[in-house]
Amino acid sequence: MAAHLLNRAGFGGSSVEITKLHALGHVGAVNHLLSAGEDLDLYPVPPLSTPAENAMARRESKKLDQKEQMQRKKMFKEAEREQIDALRFWWLQRMRSTPNPVREKAVLFWHGHWATSQMKVKAPYLIWQQNETLRAHALGNFTPFAKEITRDAAMIRYLDLNTSTARSPNENFARELMELFTLGEGNYTEMDIREAARAFAGYRTNSSTGKFQLAGKLADNGNKKFFTRSGPLNGDDVVDELTSQPRCAEFLAGKIWNFYAGGTPSPALLGALAGYYRMEKLHTGSLLKKIFLSREFYSDQVVRRQIKSPVQWLVQTCKILDIPLPSRNVSDNVLRQLGQVLFAPPNVKGWDGGRAWISSATLLLRYNTAGQIVKARRSGDHSPVTPPDIDRIIPRDATPEEACVAIESTIFQSRMPGSLRQKAKDFLVANGSGAAARRELLHLVMSTPEYQLT
Amino acid sequence: MNPTIHTRRQFLRTSILGGALSWTVPAFLERTFLAMDAQAADSLIQTATGKDGPILVILQLAGGNDGLNTLVPHGDDAYYRARPSLAIPKSKTHRLTDYLGLNPNLSGLKSLYDEGHLSVIQGVGYPNPNRSHFRSTEIWQTAVDANKSDSHGWLGRYFDSCCQGEDPAVGVSIGNQAPQAFAAKEPRGISFARPEQFRFDLKQSAIPDAADEFFRSVNDVESMDGGSIGMLPGSNSGGGETLDFLQRTALDAVMSSDKVLDITKRSRSSVTYPNSKLANSLNLVARLIGGGMPTRVYYVAQGGYDTHSNQAGSHEQLMRELDSSVSAFVADLKAQGNFDRVMLMTFSEFGRRVAENGSGGTDHGAAAPLFVAGGAVKPGIFGTAPSLTKLNNGDLIHGVDFRSVYATVLSKWLKAPVEPILHRNFPILPFV
Repeated sequence: MAAHLLNRAGFGGSSVEITKLHALGHVGAVNHLLSAGEDLDLYPVPPLSTPAENAMARRESKKLDQKEQMQRKKMFKEAEREQIDALRFWWLQRMRSTPNPVREKAVLFWHGHWATSQMKVKAPYLIWQQNETLRAHALGNFTPFAKEITRDAAMIRYLDLNTSTARSPNENFARELMELFTLGEGNYTEMDIREAARAFAGYRTNSSTGKFQLAGKLADNGNKKFFTRSGPLNGDDVVDELTSQPRCAEFLAGKIWNFYAGGTPSPALLGALAGYYRMEKLHTGSLLKKIFLSREFYSDQVVRRQIKSPVQWLVQTCKILDIPLPSRNVSDNVLRQLGQVLFAPPNVKGWDGGRAWISSATLLLRYNTAGQIVKARRSGDHSPVTPPDIDRIIPRDATPEEACVAIESTIFQSRMPGSLRQKAKDFLVANGSGAAARRELLHLVMSTPEYQLT
Repeated sequence: MNPTIHTRRQFLRTSILGGALSWTVPAFLERTFLAMDAQAADSLIQTATGKDGPILVILQLAGGNDGLNTLVPHGDDAYYRARPSLAIPKSKTHRLTDYLGLNPNLSGLKSLYDEGHLSVIQGVGYPNPNRSHFRSTEIWQTAVDANKSDSHGWLGRYFDSCCQGEDPAVGVSIGNQAPQAFAAKEPRGISFARPEQFRFDLKQSAIPDAADEFFRSVNDVESMDGGSIGMLPGSNSGGGETLDFLQRTALDAVMSSDKVLDITKRSRSSVTYPNSKLANSLNLVARLIGGGMPTRVYYVAQGGYDTHSNQAGSHEQLMRELDSSVSAFVADLKAQGNFDRVMLMTFSEFGRRVAENGSGGTDHGAAAPLFVAGGAVKPGIFGTAPSLTKLNNGDLIHGVDFRSVYATVLSKWLKAPVEPILHRNFPILPFV
């Protein structure tokens, strides 16, 4: 149970961490996880060009001749690429080693919820700024969070809010706000979208600070009618109206349950979750606590039934094997091939998740990546992949039975299926229990359908 | 149906044997048999392609190909006015009509046109064109209206509605990423950049034989013990579908990787391909076709078409690579005797602006031509030439919705119903 909690609330952990958590008791463990702190200086942000620097560079570049301008542009693009790669790894490392994994896991959830892609937004600085906004609000109240997102430079750019004016309101953001961010499809009319779009007209960001500013001349101060409200409504009024609707709590609670527990909750369970979420004024940390303490969360339909996302797969693998993440290039490549590039969700819906993570190609890639990790050759601090200490995972003198127990507690945190267990034993009997055979077995048990589940 | 049983999978999935074997195979296979029986009566379900079904090859020109310098309107002064430095002189184009000619580097496609195996569809696009690579590619891949979104691709929806219970390799994409066009409710189709990577890698293994045996025994359901799935905690409570799904995918992976590896090992091309990434991809596709993969749709891509600056040299190079790769592919298929059952279709997310920009390049545009090649295409030029003077924000206005092209390929070539896949019907073009 402690392992399940740690896997879902965060990114899993070594058997030592699980044992420690278990010792706190159920309530103690949940409280401990949800109240974890994190030193502010633990994860210094990689150097990113600020909006001011970019604006200045653009101004200066205009003075140059065409050829030099082209060169500048190329350099600029390269810098952008380097910065976003660095930022990606910065976040991934934070997931791997933060003492507050519950928050990072929630940031990952919200990144998929308020999906925003760097492919369109470009500026890594703005992507980082949004990531920090997600972090600040991840476990807090949803309404101020949503308001903050409507003012977020990356989102404003991603959903074309920056081209929306009173005269010709762009409906892209207004539509997604209702369809994907708060109510779900079918719970609003086209008229609602038009009225909301008017309320958000003139939302802009300052190009030299990356901060929100309302372009008063472009805003629409006229009367609007939006659900129960009418008057010269602005964007905040729209958010207030949306988040006060019971449907919003239901929509979000269902999504949160799906992310943490997997599957669609039964109507009764959804009703209970949504009711609680509303009572707590859409405070996500409280809802998570309720979920982590619920009996349903530990039911047979939930435990070991969720397909690990690529990020979960990679981070959890490194945590249970007690190794650092593979190098930036290797990690980046793995996640790209497995279909989850951070800061580049495929569209505004975010990642589909679940079964969509798995194809014959990505399954084999997972298997082969597990091999790359487990069988890496150690070559100093700069080796792209650090292999796990096999003696710590499956002790040198373990009997085949003891080896299975060790694999179960470290790798699966549950009993292996009977036939897999028998085959693992037979394998050790036939091939001896030298380090190479144990390493091989470790790779093999990770190259199974079962290992893709958590 | 093909009387010969080619693979263990087919063997397992044959209903009569399936019934007898069901006590040793896990639940999902039983369900597959049942589902297949139920679906057999459904006319949407087509039988496996075997060695004679039609094959579609999609060739994506990624980045936005400059349609006007691909299919050159040499009879239009407006073209020469809009492109003082980039226009291709009339005398250099491969003349198709008094108005149109092919890019000088497309000599192979010109021969194909002359022999009646190439159709050109001009002015292809969609209403409210989007000029973002990312978004416009998504629109082409998912085949929805520009203001809608769908997480499933048009080929994925084709697989979902017509290829249930079939070999996972019904769609093969050459590349590390599966194209969004393949995304489906029931994910199907395999993708790999290099066949040698598409397999369980035991190079680092000290005991490869034992490891391989173990690997197969836990991933290839055929050799699994009957009870294995029931042992997982809680699977008797009705929530075992996720593990079923994973096991089925694992089986698909093992089986198709064996097949791909086997075919690529024994098949050789009788034709020499040029040395380019696209040529390598098409070479691989030809080998898979020749080797008898049960694949209906192949997907390859050529990148680099985003020619904002200094377009002249780079676009020439791209056209040359496209032309020589496709020519080799066609020659290969002809030598195999498979040209008549293959149709290759190109597409690009958008064309480019009519007017060249200040950097010797062209910016993102809208409508553009596409090519369809194959032994069975009806040759010719289809659609109407877009006006070079009546523009929408400087861009060509489409005359043919790209979904008309898809609809034609689906209904006339793949014999699939259009509406469940494209959500509505589109006019059929006479190129098949």
